[in-house]
Amino acid sequence: MMLWGLFLCPVAGGLAAAIGPRARGWLAVWAGGVLASTLVLAILAASDAGTVLRWGGGLTLRAGLTPLAHVVAMLVPAVAAMVVAYAAQHEHRQGLRRMIALTLVFVGGMELLVIAADFLTLLIGWELVGACSWALIGHRWHEGAPPASANYAFVVTRAGDLGLFLAAMATFAGSGSFAFADLAQVSPGLLALVAAGVLLSAASKSGQMPFAPWLFRAMDGPTSVSALLHAATMVAAGAYLLARLQPMLAPVVWFGPAAIAIGLVTALAGGVVALIQPHAKKLLAGSTSAHYGLMFVATGAGYPLIAILHLLTHGFFKALLFLAAGVAGERAGDYQLRHMRFGRALPLTGAASAVGALALAGVPPLGGAWTKEEIVSAAGHHSALLAIAVTLAGALSAAYATRFQLAAFGRGDVEGTYQPGAIEKTALLLLALASLALSLLWVPAVHEGLARAWDGELPHAESWELPLSLALIVGGILAGAALARRSALGTQGVTSNAADWLGLPTLIDTSVTRPAFALASTAAYVDDYIVDAPARGAATFGRAAARLFARGDGAVVDRGVRASSAFGRWLAQRSSGIGEWLADAVPEGTASGVGTSGHLAVRMQTGMTHQYYATITGGILLIVALVFWGAA
Amino acid sequence: MLSLAILVPLIGAFVLALWTSASTRAARATAIGVSAVPFALLVAVWVGFDASPEAPLFQHLEEVPWIPALGVAWRMGVDGIALVVATMSALLFVAAAAWPIELGERAREYYAWILFLAGVSLGVFLTLDLLIFYVFFDLSLVGMYFLIGRWGHGDSQAAALKFFLYTLAGSLAILLAILGLVLAGDGPLTFDMRELIARQPLAGMDLRGGLVLLGFVFGFGIKTPLFPVHTWLPPAHVQAPGPASTILAGVLLKMGTFGLLRIPMAMMHETFARYALWIGIVALVSILWGALVALGQTSIKRRIAYTSVNHMGYTVLGIAAAGSLVAGHEAARALALTGAVVEMVAHGLITGSLFLMAGSFWQRTQSYEMADYGGLAGVAPKLTAAFILAAFASLGLPGLAGFVAEFQIFAGTFAVHPWLAGLALLGILVTAALFLTMVRALFFGDRKLPEGRSFPDLSRSETIVMAALLALVVAIGVYPAWLLEPIMASARILVGGAG
Repeated sequence: MMLWGLFLCPVAGGLAAAIGPRARGWLAVWAGGVLASTLVLAILAASDAGTVLRWGGGLTLRAGLTPLAHVVAMLVPAVAAMVVAYAAQHEHRQGLRRMIALTLVFVGGMELLVIAADFLTLLIGWELVGACSWALIGHRWHEGAPPASANYAFVVTRAGDLGLFLAAMATFAGSGSFAFADLAQVSPGLLALVAAGVLLSAASKSGQMPFAPWLFRAMDGPTSVSALLHAATMVAAGAYLLARLQPMLAPVVWFGPAAIAIGLVTALAGGVVALIQPHAKKLLAGSTSAHYGLMFVATGAGYPLIAILHLLTHGFFKALLFLAAGVAGERAGDYQLRHMRFGRALPLTGAASAVGALALAGVPPLGGAWTKEEIVSAAGHHSALLAIAVTLAGALSAAYATRFQLAAFGRGDVEGTYQPGAIEKTALLLLALASLALSLLWVPAVHEGLARAWDGELPHAESWELPLSLALIVGGILAGAALARRSALGTQGVTSNAADWLGLPTLIDTSVTRPAFALASTAAYVDDYIVDAPARGAATFGRAAARLFARGDGAVVDRGVRASSAFGRWLAQRSSGIGEWLADAVPEGTASGVGTSGHLAVRMQTGMTHQYYATITGGILLIVALVFWGAA
Repeated sequence: MLSLAILVPLIGAFVLALWTSASTRAARATAIGVSAVPFALLVAVWVGFDASPEAPLFQHLEEVPWIPALGVAWRMGVDGIALVVATMSALLFVAAAAWPIELGERAREYYAWILFLAGVSLGVFLTLDLLIFYVFFDLSLVGMYFLIGRWGHGDSQAAALKFFLYTLAGSLAILLAILGLVLAGDGPLTFDMRELIARQPLAGMDLRGGLVLLGFVFGFGIKTPLFPVHTWLPPAHVQAPGPASTILAGVLLKMGTFGLLRIPMAMMHETFARYALWIGIVALVSILWGALVALGQTSIKRRIAYTSVNHMGYTVLGIAAAGSLVAGHEAARALALTGAVVEMVAHGLITGSLFLMAGSFWQRTQSYEMADYGGLAGVAPKLTAAFILAAFASLGLPGLAGFVAEFQIFAGTFAVHPWLAGLALLGILVTAALFLTMVRALFFGDRKLPEGRSFPDLSRSETIVMAALLALVVAIGVYPAWLLEPIMASARILVGGAG
């Protein structure tokens, strides 16, 4: 039961926060407390504990912690605690309580998908996270852009969720259950389907190609939300899921190569986009896609432990960078890098950010550098060429990290007045300290010990990999420093288009979104005027025929009105026995059948009470049919 | 007890019809009080329902001979499926009666018709006699015809007439099919559903079985409604008052799918299995077409109305999957059937609440056009919260009722017809888009109502009704065992040799 506590604790805390006091201090303390409790629960949870909950109708919810899941289960509340405390002080007062409450539920959803041991539980957490991020991205609902972006993010990620539905369906068809453990019994054909579904949903959640643009739109949400989204929840879910299921899906031959291809393309494209992006948060968003791409490469190469370790280091340094960008953006009034250079004005924020930027750049001895080098080695096991491609992505990372740090916190003219508060500074410091502490990963005793404890394998490094990587990082840093001086980069012309995911959003808009809406409008028109046509035609025909009868023989119409009297009589006839009714109605009906259809025309003028006659017509037809049928 | 659940509202309707001096207030109070009786009775039946594997399919039986020569009798009884659908319907009638609405002078008649409709609708779900089923089925048309025609707005007469004639055509087909079914086979003439399920009268008759099935599918397909015979639905919904729309979507549409699984799927499972793939294909087309056309609508009510085509398509898909084999894949088929029934309950509650809220929009501003609103989150936070919750439930978010239904339908159907289930998934993507764009248009961004035009939030009685319905939506989504157990018990019996 303790495992479910990881989900229930933040969700209950969130619900309580939603109806509790609105004061900033209270929200910070409450949310911090809830997340700290969740962290304690995560630390105490036993790695191999599995638990099953009956959900009714033969469905069960399974939870379990593999060593990798355990790491992520601890990472999520740890990062979230700092981000949420920061949010309680940093974000605008309006709607703050709602935002903090949603953030807590968001963390609960993420924990649920982390502890999930079957596709049903996974899907519940997975989509809850999507819905929470919808609400958080659209937090400033009264403005035009955020709600639209929230919808965009939800629909794009839900397109990926279909993959999980597919995986769940295929697993059930193959094994009669939804449990990950039963994937071993699933036939190769169905397993391939599971792999495809998982890959699709992971790619969309983690902002990989071609779904990456939703991460840019998500930047319309508050900064704290972005930090949480990118570091520990939502986006992290994709890379986590891939690593979690890699052992089961490895038998599918194309699974690894496909993950590598998606990840590598995103890592390189995201790097280029981040390099020229003029918007501080979008620069970081591009880098998020790129680094999750690297995790995809690691998992695809067969080293899920490395992917999760990179998820860990990335979680801390990316949260740190977003929070720092939030402080700079608040002071600048927008997030344009060219309006920043707050090194002197915000020394502490700048220093903390520098730690994050160095980790992002992959500079030893920071932990982020170690995990990235391990990804290079993991890729090297696949092929040398792949290792070189990953070092290139590392060089891009170094370049945009440098550009970010120099542009945002370089020395420049001081403008603006905003200063971060005590909690904001504390959160920044703690995240920076955590990133520094992760430098210990370079110590062989530490990382070998971790690999043993977490039951994973570390790739063997080729001797040329580290020197090449370091050389490229130095080159990247120099290039980034040069680009940081060009303040107009990415604001006009070709670079401006390229900075927006190389034009991918426009492509999606013209090839998917617009056609879909056009198709819907067309379908609505077709439905009104074409699908409905036979029914309307029949009605028109009936009316015309009735009018003809009415004109030809008024007497029949008259008789119809009289003979058919009322609906009550029809009922009475029925209840008095079908046989009698039969004998009665056949002769009478033939006449009133004609009469009633004629009467339909009269009804148009005389009012609706006479609608009942239509029922009578029906009765007659049936009786006739009954007679034939019975005789046959 | 079951007979009481039908008779009490009918008597209530009769009393209201004769009680000419009743004020609007008294009429409404009577309607709420009387409609609560069958709900309470059905809850009691539910509590006493035996869902264990040894329990019989139909329970709480009542039988009074009526026309012995024809084998017609007042037979009542429920299986888990009828029980949950009837209970949900009874609740919706309480909600519809309690929902405040501007009625003018004829309020008493309005509430009388609601009670009449409650009685006959419950009759459809609770009876075990085919002839009585048909009588109640037809009477429900009459009740709905008057609710739409008299208390609707706009061109409500035409919409009501279209609804009436269209569905009447459907019920004619059903009557023919019923006769074709009952008159087939050996043994004394009977309209007893239990006997007919046991007899499988059309087994081995290819052409006749096919024709009878066609009659049922056509008739129930109109009511459900399935593509392409769904076009009566949007005008009926748009012109109907909010609570009538709720009953139409929440209760009357269920008669189509309920009939489909109660009669052809159970009483002629060989024939049903032969043509199940085609029924599934029609369901798939309804799912996709309903979602797509809904996305193309600009009016709140039409958009919600078309999502019914989509959601009932899921239900039919589940039924088609469940009935697609006579033997084999029992677990998956039972899952699909359970999902189909949960979808009926979920759709009733969710779409019922959405239509009630759509009615609130009309009450406040006399407009259903989404473009007329915007930014309402600021002035009507309760309505916003309830609408968003219902919208997410409708698009199948986990933790809410729709997900439980759709997940089971997809998983169960995939084992039998993988392609149908895979393609049907696209429906939930389009549904997400159509609900989110609607939520955004109504509640977020700039306020578009003219300056000075007020838009009050949900009133107290509206809040209570909405909270009750949505609380159930959440309860089903969070812990569905209490709903799934009785359904699954019956579903297992129905797929495992059908009786």
